[in-house]
Order: sequence, then structure tokens, then C-alpha cells
Amino acid sequence: MFKLSSEGEAFVQKELKRYETKRSAIIPCLYKVQEENDGWVSPEAVEYLSGLMDLPSAWINEVLKFYTMFNQKPIGKLHVQVCCNISCAMNGGRELANHLNKEFNIKDGEISADGNVTISRAECLGSCGTAPMMQVNDNYYEDLTPESAVKTIKGLM
Amino acid sequence: MPKLTINGTEVEVKEGATVIEAFKQMNEDIAHYCWHPGLSIAGVCRLCMIDVEGARGPQIACNTVAKEGMVVTNQSEQIKDIVKWGMDFHLINHPLDCPICDQAGECGLQEQYMKFGQYDPEMDQPKVKKRKVVDLGEKVVLDSERCILCSRCVRFTDEVSKTKELGIFNRGDRSEVGTFADKPLNNKYSLNTVDICPVGALTSKDFRFRQRVWYLKNDNTVCNGCSTGCNVKVYYNEEGLFRVTPEHNEEVNGYWMCDEGRDIYKFANKNQRLLKAKKYDGSNWQELTAGKAMQELHHSLFDDVKTNCSKVGVVFTGQYTNEEYADAMQTFKSLGVASFFEWNDTADKAGDFDDLLIRGDKNPNTKGLQDEAANHSGLKKLEDAINAVNSGQIDTIFVMAPENISVYPNYQSTYEALSKAKNFIWFGANKTDGFEKSNSQNTYLIPMKSYIEKTGTFSGAKAIQKFNYVTTIVAGALTLSEAMTLFQGKEIEFELRSKPMTSLKNNHFTLNRGKL
Amino acid sequence: METKILSEHYDKPSFKTLKGYKELSGYEDLAKALKMDPKKIIEDVKAAGLRGRGGAGFPTGVKWGFLPDNGEPRYLLCNADEGEPGTFKDRLMMEAAPHQLIEGMIISAFAIGSKKSYIYIRGEYNSCIRSMTKALEEAYADGLLGKNIMGSGFDHDMDVYVGAGAYICGEETAMISSLEGLKGQPKLKPPFPAIEGYLKKPTIVNNVESLAAVKYIIRDGVEGYRKYGTEKSAGTKLFSVSGNVTKPGNYEIPLGMSMKELIMDIAGGMKPGRKLKAVIPGGSSTPILTAEEALKVNMDYESMAELGTFLGSGAVIVIDDSNCMVDLLGVLMHFYHHESCGQCTPCREGTGWLNKLVHSILKGEAKMKDLELINGISNHMMGKTICALSDAAAMPALSFLKKFRDEFEYYIKEGRSKVKGVSYAEVNH
Repeated sequence: MFKLSSEGEAFVQKELKRYETKRSAIIPCLYKVQEENDGWVSPEAVEYLSGLMDLPSAWINEVLKFYTMFNQKPIGKLHVQVCCNISCAMNGGRELANHLNKEFNIKDGEISADGNVTISRAECLGSCGTAPMMQVNDNYYEDLTPESAVKTIKGLM
Repeated sequence: MPKLTINGTEVEVKEGATVIEAFKQMNEDIAHYCWHPGLSIAGVCRLCMIDVEGARGPQIACNTVAKEGMVVTNQSEQIKDIVKWGMDFHLINHPLDCPICDQAGECGLQEQYMKFGQYDPEMDQPKVKKRKVVDLGEKVVLDSERCILCSRCVRFTDEVSKTKELGIFNRGDRSEVGTFADKPLNNKYSLNTVDICPVGALTSKDFRFRQRVWYLKNDNTVCNGCSTGCNVKVYYNEEGLFRVTPEHNEEVNGYWMCDEGRDIYKFANKNQRLLKAKKYDGSNWQELTAGKAMQELHHSLFDDVKTNCSKVGVVFTGQYTNEEYADAMQTFKSLGVASFFEWNDTADKAGDFDDLLIRGDKNPNTKGLQDEAANHSGLKKLEDAINAVNSGQIDTIFVMAPENISVYPNYQSTYEALSKAKNFIWFGANKTDGFEKSNSQNTYLIPMKSYIEKTGTFSGAKAIQKFNYVTTIVAGALTLSEAMTLFQGKEIEFELRSKPMTSLKNNHFTLNRGKL
Repeated sequence: METKILSEHYDKPSFKTLKGYKELSGYEDLAKALKMDPKKIIEDVKAAGLRGRGGAGFPTGVKWGFLPDNGEPRYLLCNADEGEPGTFKDRLMMEAAPHQLIEGMIISAFAIGSKKSYIYIRGEYNSCIRSMTKALEEAYADGLLGKNIMGSGFDHDMDVYVGAGAYICGEETAMISSLEGLKGQPKLKPPFPAIEGYLKKPTIVNNVESLAAVKYIIRDGVEGYRKYGTEKSAGTKLFSVSGNVTKPGNYEIPLGMSMKELIMDIAGGMKPGRKLKAVIPGGSSTPILTAEEALKVNMDYESMAELGTFLGSGAVIVIDDSNCMVDLLGVLMHFYHHESCGQCTPCREGTGWLNKLVHSILKGEAKMKDLELINGISNHMMGKTICALSDAAAMPALSFLKKFRDEFEYYIKEGRSKVKGVSYAEVNH
């Protein structure tokens, strides 16, 4: 059964008081759950959060499923998101994603055999002037080539 | 009170009314799915489009407040075209499984398509696949593919039942209505979501696949499930009742009713009913018609009651009409009987109220009973009646038993206790399978009409409401008033009340339902 | 030529810190503003002709003027949910000059009488979240936020709220929903946010660049601000130039400059051997321009409107002749389908339908009549929904089809791209 660390629970209590309504704390608290749950939010965690925040589970689930930054299934240690929107597509973003699929032998959304990498295609991440780019966990890597991208990811493992 | 013109006709509406309310007030056709008068405005189906003179473009009528001098139409070519496309957008991913859909015949998509659509479908690509036959608990089933995401059900659980179980998850055309992790939607008002679902996405487990709606007639009456007295519509055919849905009455129940009230029809159906009168002489039961039984009682007991009036008691329950109470009490009073008792198994919860509709007193007319008794010598407690029977103070007892026995846990034990009287006359609508014997050697069980089968008034918590005869289920059953008339040795007039009924003889589906 | 007003110090790392910012006259305009009559600030912002820099181009001062004058609490919400494909200017502004935004916001909050503001930053912008959070801490520590700011008696609190990945949250009422802890779905209008916004209280939502620009209206005065730009498109603006140019990047120019100068000169022009084919002038939602149109249009609101398009968020996406327009439309239709919030039926179903149709062309499965269907669907998505995402999806479809119809017809007839000579069936959109 999922449970936040005591630090995590304290964070939730703080966020519940931080905004004008308790409901505003759902997004920050889901981030916290994701951080402490190996990068994804499980249904048990939603149930748990619903109890902790005293908010209906349907409300939390609506938020979880609306926003793309919450992962609803397990994910590799490095979440590699390759932007494939227009400016990146024109500069090799899709080819980069295809290359990474091959290199790590995974389809989009899958976890590599060693558990290290998940690749997904993202919509515009606001790096259009430095395309193609990828986001690995919290950080952006820009002006990439297939080779430099692979090197970067391997360097983070 | 602004006056506006809708499709060329002037209409005056109340201050603050929306244009869609003005359309409704005039009975003017306007397509819509998400708008519901009992819920907040969502404005998402985008079908109630109107042209407003002077506006920049088409508007939605549900979010446009009627203003003095406004000129509105939904008959322009532009609006017709928008609505036709709006229907198409609604239908491209809809499974179009009307032949196996329980909503067929009362489906918003079917109705609007006939009015505003009627085109050839244009999407050649595969439809979005979603979940089907999702079990949402005891009462409701969800088919996500049929859902048009109008959000009525979600707004209902957020705003009316305030139980907040439902949500719309995911986004875009992957959106699906549901509960978190398919938790059961077991709130006390869950079936309202089925009523307000404009399509076949949410269906009632109780009603689904039992009957095509076009084989049912319907009439309005008042729910007798508790003292609220929700206005309801009952659906029935020759075989009996099939379902109950709420009817709008702003003062009493708004647009809603509770789930429990929807099951009330079940005890009115034949399989739950006392079909004939029965009498018991200490060793054998014998069946006879209700009329014959009352005539016998007139001959054998009427004079006796008059002479021994102090040893006679009458037990009432709050499940009869004001008119029946008046007739019954008057009849007994004229015979000198003054011992009236009230039997109410929910009396200790009578003050309960959930702030929406459900009240603790599970009788529709406790107030009517008490008010009428106040004109006589009032009501004593049921225990007093039982004690009086035990002590022999009372040797003749008449019991006006409840028809909704599910809220009378002491039904059988009360029967047993009171049947210790020498003369035991039991009036009731419900079947008496559990009554294998009686302690009385002069027992009569008289079949009563259910609320569906009579006309009268209930004094509910909110109002005194009249309701009318809907249909006959048990042909020989009586009202209390009729029974009292016969008891006095008078004749009753049988009204011939037959309503034209759809013939079911050749309907294979109906005849075989349950086997399919 | 670039005209660096807002971006004058963006290349200086010290500008990110409170100390460095103050050394470059930071917060002096706030001190000046706090001595002004708030109504005068609103009048100045109106007179300066500042138009919303997020995309819609609505006059900022006019928007502020919609607030009810009833002393009710009101909120200021900074729209830092930059998500319009092609746009990356707000990111630069928050990374390079967080205090510039804070200063602009305090001045704006003072003008409209707001005691609480939020900066709603898209969740992916971690660098911005970090820099804004740090700058807020510095500002609080320095008494620039909180009670009695700079001894003026004006109290104001500011906080960061982090989004979680939804393009639609850039729409102001969707942003309010998101801040309220709901799904980021736009709200019905009326009522507009200035009347009923965040928690049903009056709320003003302004873009990062708009709020930062307010500082310069205070600094330079109405006339000083109007020195750049045109009569109806006053001031300078940051443009994010991307796509097939040799020097993509953010450039601040006076409104009214020719697009030709921006692309061919400032952004370095086309790559060797390549020709300009088309330009999406203001982010992926704005109708596309042909090369010919692009080379004659000016970078201001009116010139764009004359060509039936918009200045939008200032994201200039430059497309050269190596691109297949069917393919690029496929990318965009995938995006809008992915991002439609799903509330309004025409958008929810229309974005999916358009995506399917364009991809059926790319797979070689489409019929010629499908082009008319794309037009029909798009026309019935325009102006029929709560927010403009539906229009944003329809406009590229309509304009690509109108201006590059031959490529679509060729693809349908031949089953392959006119430009690339192959089918895109294998490309995963």
C-alpha cells in the first residue's frame, strides 16, 4: 500500500493551506506522490491521497488523467521526451525519437530491459529555436543530433 | 419581465431567464443535450445554437440571458446547418447500436437526429473504442461508447446528491465518464443519473432489457415511499408496472427522486399482492372475493361491533389516502368505536431528513392520518392495541395494514400479535404468504388496492397532493372507502375504467423477455 | 535591426539576481509607480497601446478597465503557460530576467488593486520554475513583496503555481480552472474573468511579456513607449523565430518591421540552397502565409489581419521548400487532437476527425472528397465552442488546404508526397 514519507505528508499539509482552496493542492500533491512512487501515480496512491487530502477520489483522478506530466503507469528511471511538434519535426525531432527507439530497443512508453529508459514523443516544449531537443526528467537538452542524444542519455544512467 | 421575440413570436419571460428557458416556455423546438433545468449550465454540447440579431455570431441559448427586445431565431439556414453538423459530431464516434440499446425509443440522439440530422454518415475511419458494460454498482451500468460527454451525470453528483463520485477522465475524444477505479455509484439518488442521461450510456440494472419503452404507457402519480411525496411517472402495461421516474415539481421534489422510491412499484405488481380475500376458521383457509368477504362481515360482525363497541379497536398505518381515513373513521365512529391506533414501524426516525428528499417517516400520509384522527379521539400506540388484545380488553380488531411492507420490519410479528383477537380483520394490499396460520378463529384478510389503483390525496411533508388512478393490477381489490361501504351493507359502484392498451400478443420480444 | 527594450540585459547573467537587477535600475520603476495614482497607470497602459502579447492581442489597459470598481478582492494571474508551438520567448524572459516580470507584476497589481497574484508556469519549464521561485524569495526578503511594499502602504503577495502538461491551460479561463485544482477546461463566457474569474472573484490574466512591458511604460512614459511600433501596434515585441532559418532564436523588434527583415536579415535567412516556402506567423494556430505573402507582410497586428492571419504569440515558424505540407499539417492535427480538452463536442470530435482524415491522406487511403470534408469539419469547428482551441485547430487545416491544395491533391492521387516523393505512412506522427 502506497504511503508518502513523513516529509511528503508534511508537504501535503502545507500545500493544503497554501492556496485559497484545498482543491488547488491536487497538482502539487500529485507531483509529490509521483516523486516518491518511482515516477508514476498508481490508483492506490490516488486513493491514499484522497484520504489524506479529504477530497473525492474522482476529483483527483480527473486531474491525474488530464495532465500529461503525470504518468499513469511505471516508467524508466530516465524519462526521455522527444519533442515532435512542428519546429522540431522540421529539424529531425521525429527521426531522433525513432533513433532512440532503436538504440534502446523500446517502443514509445515502454521501459528498457534494464529499467533505465522510457521514451515518449512530446508536444511542443518551448525549445523551437534549439530543435531538435529532448527533456530527460527535469532537464532540457537542445540542439541535438541522434549521436549526442544517445551519449547524453547514457551519461545520465 | 423582459419580452423577446423567438422565431417570430413574442414571449415574456421572468427576469434573468435564459433564452433556452424561453424556448421551453413556448414549447418551441430547440436541440440540446447538456442543458438541464435542474443543473448548472455546462454549455458543451453546442447544439442549442441561436442567431441573435446584432450579435457577432451564433450563440448558445443556454448561456444567453433573455433581454428586452432581443430577436432570436433557431430557424435560419445557418443555425440549421450548425445543428446538423453538431449532430454529426455527436454521432461519428457513437456506436449506433440502437437495436440492442435500452435507451432506444427515448434517446436524445434518435430524437434530434430525426428532427435535425437525417444525413448519410461521412466518417470512413474507425471509431474511437471505449469501455462497454462497466458495472457501476448495484443499480447503474455504463457504456462509454454511447456517452456523448454532456456531463449531466457528473454535475448531478457534484451539485444535487453532492456525493461527487463521478468524473470525466482523460481529454479530447478519449474522455470517459466514470467513477474512480470503477467504484460503485451507490448513492441514494444514483438512478437520477440514468434519467438525465440523454443517451444509452447510463442504464438502470433494474429496468434494462425488461421492456421496450414504446410498449409501455405512463401516467403521473405521487410516490408513497416516504412522507416527501415525490411526483413520479409510472410506466406500465397489462402485465403491471415496470419502472418509476421522477416528475418535476419545484415545491416538492424538483426534478429528482431517490432510488428507494423507484422500487416501490414492485409491491404493487401482482406477484406481491393479495389477490383474493381469505378467511380462516381456526383450521382451514378459504378464498373468496373481497366483495363477498365484506358482505359476510356485514352480516356476521356489523351489529356486534355496534353493541360491543368498547371492545373494538382499529389499527391504522400511514399508507392510505385522506379520503379513506375519513370514511373509515366516520364508519367506526358511527358505530361507537373510539379506539384508534397508529402502527408505524419507522416512527422513531420520523423526524429524519437528508436535506434533499429522503425522510425518515416511510409512510406517505402519516400527517393525513393524524390530522383526521384529531377530528375524533386521536390515535393510541400500537403497543396499546397489542396489550389490549392480550388482556382481552379488545376482542375485535380491524387492521389497515401497510402496502409497502419493506419498511415494516414488524409486519409479521404485528400480524401474529393482533391476530390473538377473537375477530381479526386485516386489510392489506400485500400477499400474505408468511401468514400460514392465524391465532384468531375468525380471521379475514381483505385485498386492498395499491396507490397505483386509486385516486386520492396524501398529506406529505411539503404539500397535500392529489393523485389519480393509473391502472388496475388486482381486479377484485378494494379501497378502504369501498370496504367500509360494503361493511355497512351498502352497494358500491364499480367504475369501468379501462384504458386502451398496446396489444402484446404478437410481441415476441416481450413474451420472451428474460429468455433472450 | 533588433531594438532591445525588454531584452536589453538578457545576455547578462547577473540580471537574474536581485542584486544584479537592482544595479541595472531594477525596481526603480516600481518605486515610481507606487507614487502614482493607480487609475493613472491604467490610463497610461491604455494610452501606450500595449496589446496582449500572449496571442489574442487584446489591449491590456482595456482589459484592466473591465474590472468592477467595487473594492472586491481581485486576482492577477500571470500566464506563463507558454505552449503555442513555435513560442519560446516567455521561457527566455523568466530564465534571464525573473525580476523584470516580478516588477511588472507588482506595478500591474498596484494599478488594478490586487493583493494576490499567481504566476502560472507550465510544468515542463523547470528552469523557469526554479528562477522565478528563487527571485520571489529574494523579493520577499528585500521587502519588495508582502506588507507595505517600499513604504507605500500597498500589500501584495505573489506565488508560483506549476502546471502539469496541458496546452489548453494557456487559455485564460482554463488556466483559472487549473489553478482552482480542476481539469484545465475553459469556462463559459460570459461571465468574463474580469467579472468572475479565479474562485468567482474578479481576475485579470496577462501574458509574461505584457506584464513585463508595463514596467517600460512607467519608465519611458506613454510617448516614450510609443516611440517604437505603429499607431495601432505600439512598442516592441519579442518574436520566437524557428524552423528552417540559419539563426533561430528570440528577437525583440519594433512592431511594424517587415517580416522579410526579421527572417532574412535578423534570423539569418534560409539555409544554403533552400527557398522560403511558407511562414506560420504567430504560432501553430495562426493561418499560414505563402512565401510571397510572408515577404510583403509587416510584423504588426493590422498587417497580419489584412492577410487573414494573426500576430499571435509571436512565434514565426519558417518553412522551406524541403517540407511536405501534408506532413506538417499531420503534425499539427495530431497536436490539436492530443490537446483538445474534450468539453465541447465540435472540438472534441472535430480534432479527432481532422487528425484521422489528414493521416488517411498520409497513408494513401484518402479520397479527393475528403478535402471538402476537411473544409466542412473545420468551418463547423470555428466559432462554435467555449474557447478558441477549436478554431486554432481549424485555421491551419483551412489555410494549408487553401494555399497548398496542389500538394494535398497530388498526395491523394499518387499516394505519395509531392515534395519528398515517398509516402509518410512509416513516419510516426
